[in-house]
Amino acid sequence: MTKPTVVVVGADKGGVGKTTVARTLLDYFTAHHVPTRAFDTESPKGTLKRFHPDISDVVDVTAVPDQMRIFDTLSDASVTVIDVRAGLLSPTLRSLRDIGFLDAVKKGQLTFVVFHILGSSITSLNEIEEMAAFIGDASYFLVKNFINNTSFFEWDQATHASYFKKQKDAVVITIPKLNEMAFEQVELASVPFLTFVANKGPKGESANYSFVLRGYVRHWLGNVWGEYDRVKLNELVASAPPAGGARVQVVGRS
Amino acid sequence: MTQPAPLYIVASPRPRVGKTLMAQLLIEFFRAGDRPLVGYDLNPREPSLAGRFPHLVWPVDIGETRGQMELFDQLIADNASTQIVDLGYGAFDQFFAVMGEIDFVREARHRLIEPIVLFIADPAPATARSYTGLRCQLPAMTFVPVHNEAVSIMFAKEDFPATRAECSMIRIPRLSPIVRGVIDRPNFSFATYRTTQAGRPTEIHQWIAEIFTEFRELELRLLIGRLASSLGGAPANTREFRRER
Repeated sequence: MTKPTVVVVGADKGGVGKTTVARTLLDYFTAHHVPTRAFDTESPKGTLKRFHPDISDVVDVTAVPDQMRIFDTLSDASVTVIDVRAGLLSPTLRSLRDIGFLDAVKKGQLTFVVFHILGSSITSLNEIEEMAAFIGDASYFLVKNFINNTSFFEWDQATHASYFKKQKDAVVITIPKLNEMAFEQVELASVPFLTFVANKGPKGESANYSFVLRGYVRHWLGNVWGEYDRVKLNELVASAPPAGGARVQVVGRS
Repeated sequence: MTQPAPLYIVASPRPRVGKTLMAQLLIEFFRAGDRPLVGYDLNPREPSLAGRFPHLVWPVDIGETRGQMELFDQLIADNASTQIVDLGYGAFDQFFAVMGEIDFVREARHRLIEPIVLFIADPAPATARSYTGLRCQLPAMTFVPVHNEAVSIMFAKEDFPATRAECSMIRIPRLSPIVRGVIDRPNFSFATYRTTQAGRPTEIHQWIAEIFTEFRELELRLLIGRLASSLGGAPANTREFRRER
């Protein structure tokens, strides 16, 4: 049996694309046949749940009953993805420390992965420093998300280097930009990216999305997954790799 | 065996090499055979092909995503008509970039549409580089080089290798300057000319006949290539066959 994995996706700043990254992760694990569930901490109304209603629940991660719902049932799935609401990343990590989760990670009982979505401002770099106290035994990924057309303009090389040096084991992941109209159409369709590429509706029915937009999404998702493959995310969550170690590709046509 | 619907993309990275004339000739050729036909004019600033065939050719600007959807969603949806794209040099890079990104060729084949690039060759080194680059970028695409003698008499033909034997270069013969002036008139129609100028064949008659023969042979070669490929053999070269006879 594989060791349960918790993937936390968060940032202390809003609008940096946390939920988008969480959605690409859920699609990635689905494509790799990794049993996955997700918690959306945007209580009471979760965006992640809108796209992945079958495997997502909306929780208040600061409330003890919901913490129990998440962490007392980790063995229910190989991977638990937690999409942490803006401003709650540090408090969530603090809670994880307080409930002994980080100790369990230290003892090797759990795998802990943090996707820290960076914004363009220097605040994001300060957040990296704050993370240090919590992510010692985690696989820590700093995500530069260009999907919102972010230009990381406030980062000069010296500043960047001084902060990144403090997290020697952090790995940078780049999420490329997705065509705006394609992104909008997936939003309107309220389906996972993979379902959109496969031209299906929320209930699996045939849809009539633009071939061009589906092509843009497929290409983009392929690039995002390329990044996840590069950092060996699939091996990290200790699931069986696909036959022959081949890379899973984004496929789907109507 | 169901035959795929051809999608001809008349392309060159350079202006004024005869793309629109080539697209016009193709349209006239298929119209003469009463084939269901639709064309797209990707010269948003000067859509002269759409001006010549207002109910048959639609101007499209692929500079915006909406225009890309208008074009590629239509191209992929229609496997009943022969489709012709007059690809203006301004849209050249973007057209093929989008095509590659959305994996158009694979999906088109899946839907029984056969995209064929009629690439107008010329002696400029940049054109040969562009041709080589495109073939690498779209390895599954069928490329047929076109020699328009009105643009260049000589160039290194080995710089423009065909995708397969059956896709060998097609030739557009040069017309005398005076006659060229006639066909360049905005309202000139080859079909009308052929029917109204019956009698002794003129230079234009001969020219059209030669080009239409080239088109017919290309179609035949492609058909034989597909048949040979489905039977697992090497395609016969009909042009060589004709010469041997």
